[in-house]
Amino acid sequence: MALTPRLTPEETRGTDPVDTGPVELLACGRDAAEVWDHAAAGTLDEHERDCPHCGAAAADARGLEEMVGHLAGQSLVPPETVVDRVVGAVLAELRPRDLIPLDSPHGPAALDAAAAAAVLRGVVDAMAGMRARSCRITRPSAPGGAPGPAEVAMTVTARFGVDLASTTARVRQMVLAAGEQALGVPVARVDIEVVDVFVDGAGTDGPGGSS
Amino acid sequence: MTSAAAPVVATPTDLDEQTLVVRAQEGDVRAFEALARRHQVALYRLAVRVLGNRSDAEDALQDALLDAWRRIGSFRGDAAFSTWLYRIVTNRCLGLLRRSRPTTPVADLSEAGDVVGATRAASPERQAELDAGMTALAAALAELPHDQRVCFVLRELEGLDYTEIAEIVGTGETTVRGRIHRARKTLAEVMRPWR
Repeated sequence: MALTPRLTPEETRGTDPVDTGPVELLACGRDAAEVWDHAAAGTLDEHERDCPHCGAAAADARGLEEMVGHLAGQSLVPPETVVDRVVGAVLAELRPRDLIPLDSPHGPAALDAAAAAAVLRGVVDAMAGMRARSCRITRPSAPGGAPGPAEVAMTVTARFGVDLASTTARVRQMVLAAGEQALGVPVARVDIEVVDVFVDGAGTDGPGGSS
Repeated sequence: MTSAAAPVVATPTDLDEQTLVVRAQEGDVRAFEALARRHQVALYRLAVRVLGNRSDAEDALQDALLDAWRRIGSFRGDAAFSTWLYRIVTNRCLGLLRRSRPTTPVADLSEAGDVVGATRAASPERQAELDAGMTALAAALAELPHDQRVCFVLRELEGLDYTEIAEIVGTGETTVRGRIHRARKTLAEVMRPWR
């Protein structure tokens, strides 16, 4: 028989006391919510099937379940414009957070680190079997105070089965070249960490994790 | 080593959720947009069912997504990203409900009726009966205490488990279970004539 559970102090703090009480027991001693869950899942046990108190709760559960099923089946889709408006507002309030100094004979110039990272991620995404995840670019000062060569730290995911050694070597070469050619920043160091693998067609919602 | 069927360039919609989250946390707006598009339907559904009308739900979704962008740096991955988003939308909806006058019915019944009818019955009579039942259910849902309504919607209409709901509403599983049970009992009582 299920016992009436006790509430922890965290569960009762700052909430309406009427709405935090435990689930009542039926006259037969069964936990009413448990019987309801069993009825909804079609897993009533022998007692629950034969007991009139459990039977009444199960009938209520099944009656409501049918109508709730219809409600749950309704298609509710937001207008496309909602996300468009959100993205518009995000872009409007976007301010450069981190800047990478550029070598310029015409005065100070800098590149937004998020934009630079997007360029390098794009280079990796264009390679078969690799996808960029994190990309952080720093440009520490060289002795004398001038900006030294950039350092890039990337995490990537790789398609299951690719040759990691040769592919990451190719990623390093491509990032070195893109830093110089696309960003105009010499790159001295590229750290690459393969943090996950993906399988084509199953990569849109994987649980992630390291490998 | 490479497959001929592989896409040449991975677009945001091809990417796994964790990659999109990390990119968005590093300021990639397109990655955030892909996340928003991926989750918007479920979040909107939750908002419509909690608030009772589409117009307020659109506003709540929009504000919640902006809030999510501003706070995405605080997402640590302890729970699923969808749970984190559900929590932001839930808080936004509860805030709107608390600000609404308690004597004003939360659901606009004409709009509740408007969302009825995904399932078509065999006969017009049965369909009319079904529509009336669904309108009654929507109205009864709107009369539930806010916390009960949120928990019921997350469980019965979104199919989440007690642990996820407790995470979203920021309370214990025992409380969630109690709220859902009380909501079920109230709704079952109201819906008895339609059985």
